[in-house]
Amino acid sequence: MARITREEVERIADLARLTLTPDEAERMTGELERILEYVASLEALDTEGVEPTSHASPMRTPLREDRVEPGLDPDRALANAPERDGHAFVVPKVIAEDEA
Amino acid sequence: MSSHPHPDYEVVIGLEVHVQLRTESKLFCRCAVRYGDDPNHHACPVCLALPGALPVLNGRAVELGVRAALATHCSVHPRSVFARKNYFYPDLPKGYQISQFEEPLATEGWLELELDEDGGTTKRVGLTRIHMEEDAGKSIHDTAIAGHEGSHVDLNRAGVPLLEIVSEPALRSPEEAGAYLRSLRQLLRYVDVSDADMEKGHFRCDANLSLRPHGETTLGTRTELKNLNSFRFVEGALHAEIVRQAALLDAGERIVQATMLYDPAANRTRVMRTKENADDYRYFPDPDLVPLQIEVEAVEGARAQLPELPEDRRRRFRETYGLSAYDARLLTESRALADFFETAAREHANPKTVANWVLRDVLQALKERDAALEGARLSPEALAALLRLVDEGKVTAANARPLVPELLERGGDPLALVRERGLEAVSDTGLLESAVDEIIAANPEMVERFKAGEEKILNFLMGQVMKRTRGKADPGAVRRILARRLED
Amino acid sequence: MTEPLSPIATLRRELDAGTTSSRKLVEGALARAGRLESLGAFVGLRAEAALAEAEQADARRGRGELRSPLDGIPLAIKDNLVQAGEPTTCASRILAGFVSPYDATAVARLREAGAVVLGRTNLDEFAMGSSTENSAHGPTRNPWDAERAPGGSSGGSAAAVAAGIVPAAVGSDTGGSIRQPAAFCGVVGMKPTYGRVSRYGLVAFASSLDQVGPFARTAEDCALLLETLAGHDPRDSTSLPESVPRYREALTGDVSGLVIGLPREYFVEEGVDPEVLAVVRQAVAELERAGAKTREVSLPHTRHAIATYYLIAPAEASSNLARYDGVRYGHRASGAESLGAMYRRTRSEGFGAEVKRRILLGTYVLSAGYYEAYYRKAMQVRTLLRRDFEEAFRGCDVLLTPTAPEVAFRLGEKAADPLRMYLSDVYTVSANLAGVPGVSLPGGFAHGMPVGLQLLGRALDEATLLRVADAYQRRTDWHECRPPEPA
Repeated sequence: MARITREEVERIADLARLTLTPDEAERMTGELERILEYVASLEALDTEGVEPTSHASPMRTPLREDRVEPGLDPDRALANAPERDGHAFVVPKVIAEDEA
Repeated sequence: MSSHPHPDYEVVIGLEVHVQLRTESKLFCRCAVRYGDDPNHHACPVCLALPGALPVLNGRAVELGVRAALATHCSVHPRSVFARKNYFYPDLPKGYQISQFEEPLATEGWLELELDEDGGTTKRVGLTRIHMEEDAGKSIHDTAIAGHEGSHVDLNRAGVPLLEIVSEPALRSPEEAGAYLRSLRQLLRYVDVSDADMEKGHFRCDANLSLRPHGETTLGTRTELKNLNSFRFVEGALHAEIVRQAALLDAGERIVQATMLYDPAANRTRVMRTKENADDYRYFPDPDLVPLQIEVEAVEGARAQLPELPEDRRRRFRETYGLSAYDARLLTESRALADFFETAAREHANPKTVANWVLRDVLQALKERDAALEGARLSPEALAALLRLVDEGKVTAANARPLVPELLERGGDPLALVRERGLEAVSDTGLLESAVDEIIAANPEMVERFKAGEEKILNFLMGQVMKRTRGKADPGAVRRILARRLED
Repeated sequence: MTEPLSPIATLRRELDAGTTSSRKLVEGALARAGRLESLGAFVGLRAEAALAEAEQADARRGRGELRSPLDGIPLAIKDNLVQAGEPTTCASRILAGFVSPYDATAVARLREAGAVVLGRTNLDEFAMGSSTENSAHGPTRNPWDAERAPGGSSGGSAAAVAAGIVPAAVGSDTGGSIRQPAAFCGVVGMKPTYGRVSRYGLVAFASSLDQVGPFARTAEDCALLLETLAGHDPRDSTSLPESVPRYREALTGDVSGLVIGLPREYFVEEGVDPEVLAVVRQAVAELERAGAKTREVSLPHTRHAIATYYLIAPAEASSNLARYDGVRYGHRASGAESLGAMYRRTRSEGFGAEVKRRILLGTYVLSAGYYEAYYRKAMQVRTLLRRDFEEAFRGCDVLLTPTAPEVAFRLGEKAADPLRMYLSDVYTVSANLAGVPGVSLPGGFAHGMPVGLQLLGRALDEATLLRVADAYQRRTDWHECRPPEPA
């Protein structure tokens, strides 16, 4: 497992929509490097052919009936909105680099 | 709909279609699936992604997904996994879309296309996979609507159930791509999986396109065309992209893997973004949803309930009822129509006659009224009864025809309607004989010409008799009496 | 009126005898919360609403219409469980101003039972931490020693119960966040089987590990709370369908013949305070005297548990915390020119350092090129950890271990060293990874601070854990020791 570089930390910060100050980026790089070094101990373990566990309980996904229930009243749905216009949430304009 | 091969390059197209499933409620919550309401009127803690809210899967959506998979001959997997596709966008409230990635609902099927109108050429297009996912909400960037520098976010659509159906790169022209989309849409409507209404966004298409020299076996570099939301748009965009790529290749340049945007006004495509700044979606199994398990018995049950598929029914209509490929295709356009035809055909001796009446009179009357067969009052049995009245000479075809729209609107017994309108054919021999005699007496010249060998005069005389009886005479009886009298 | 509150069982006797009322209990709890404000256990009190609800409970009592044994009892809720009409902050600036329009299932069940939610307790931001220092509201202090951490992340709930402000509280446990603070504060804390208590309305940290559970002074009170909290919830797809036993009926006091496994890997001298181990060994001896059998067992993959946990939990967290984007609720940075700038500034201002660290770690291990090496590998090791428990439980009924390798550490002691902080979860994370239930109960003292005993059980066998814990409490009085009253 490769150790992490400052550039990689900045790339993942960007993926996570976080901006790090130069100091933060430096500190995080060091901390993540230590953590990744620690977790690298798993490398030594032979897991060939072991099924991955993504859920603790061996259960099947429950299915629900296709029945409509009213959602929140729109005023309640919007009550926490930092900015709204009528019943729409408002966000700052999307510029080209924001396009997914 | 025949394809025109490019002179220098083989065109390779694969399509990804997003189809909205026909459910009442959303995929992971009980909010209504409704189009066109005011913003955020169908939103709850789950589809607003409030802290602590959790998804619960809609069983009906799974049922419809399985049905679509079976209708396209896919293998439905006993276990499939919902995964999170992580990216930020304001219409994606959780910051991830619940989709399926490594373990989709179904894989490896095919769709049969008819490539020409007479149904002579068919092609099977392989399907790579079908998976379930939730739709995003809507961001409205238009400043005219948003009214200022910002964008509006409406989450009514967030969480609506979708199927993504991915074809193999097996389509060889924009026209084939169009045929694929039409067949797929028809099939999904036919098996009641989706309304597939393109205008409402129920049926959306992305395309991958690459070119390679004829005879080359490895694939060229492909580009992706997003959000092709009408059939015309799809074919136009693909043609434009073929022109662009061919020009680049002709000039010895390389194709850069990119997402393209189609400008229909200029009829050209341009690069929206290239692969270098591609997203890293960080897919992983959604820990809020344990794997979906579908028993073999459930799949077999769904398969048993699946109606006869349009492609099989077309074949059978041709073979059993002697219909043309063209008529068979039109009659299988929807399941309701095919069922209507078939029920009527079983009640009537001549299926071709039934097909003609259904395709001409019934469909035209529906079209004029902008009505659907499902809501019409004319039963297939009644249509068959009307046609039997024609066969039996109780009403003439010409007089029966205008009754179809009336029966569609009012329903009821055709015979009663014929009587009510006084359209009963005259088959009283005495009455017809005297009418024939009158016409012969009134047209001695014509009778002479007929006897001199001008056979078509018979039709003129028949017409005169029909006119005299105001169309109600049984044409067969008139013809027999005329022939007998003229021999005398 | 600022006496510490007794266990629920005692309060109920007093209520039944008419020597107190719900209103008096709530008044007392509020007064005590005020007097002990410097503990930082609560981030919000519902004074008026709680008093009104207590009066309603008294009225029900008067009419003989009590809803449950919890009716009229004041409780505290960790501030990561939502309650309709109330704020939820998760101790994060990013949820500033957020008021939930809906109830968490756990909260709704307590309220339906008549319990009075006194207030919301402090935690590490988004439950990420082992000390309750990473809180936008400031740290919570350990009632036994104000210079020490109460543990975390449910430090506020543990401190509130230890200080006798409330007889019981609710927390959440993702890697030990109930059991470790219970140990550090000298109270009982239980993490039920994954899926036993609904997660609906629990603000997600790591969804495949998070579990809601109770804090109380006694195993009996824990049993009572769990009876109310547990049970299938159709709103949580990971909620288990099995019916809920009457846990209190399992509290027979009898452990004779029960086999207690002592996992070898949890008793290694390295990395654990010998005084803590000595306390645990005494408890083992006590249970043997009560008729239990003990035997050594092995959980061979234990040493990989922390690494596995710190891959899986941050990965899930990085995705769970993507919804805090300033669009629909919570903090939004002002004056951003574009959507992208708004996202970045909102999230950078809103999240604290530990949350950012885990988001970065989680984003990294899920990102292209690393998923297989890190995330998938961790999920495979998780399978091995689960099998360890399955194997161990073939030969014993419960496992007994220290809850933490040490007693409560000093505030600030580990704040500068994330990895060292992570290692303090060494005995607790395995239960979350395997989904099995665990309880921590007071087992004695080391260095003048409480030491926790951890019991781990088979999936859905909370009853046996509570039976052993109760039997131990019948034979000892560690749980009756109270922290010193502040001057």
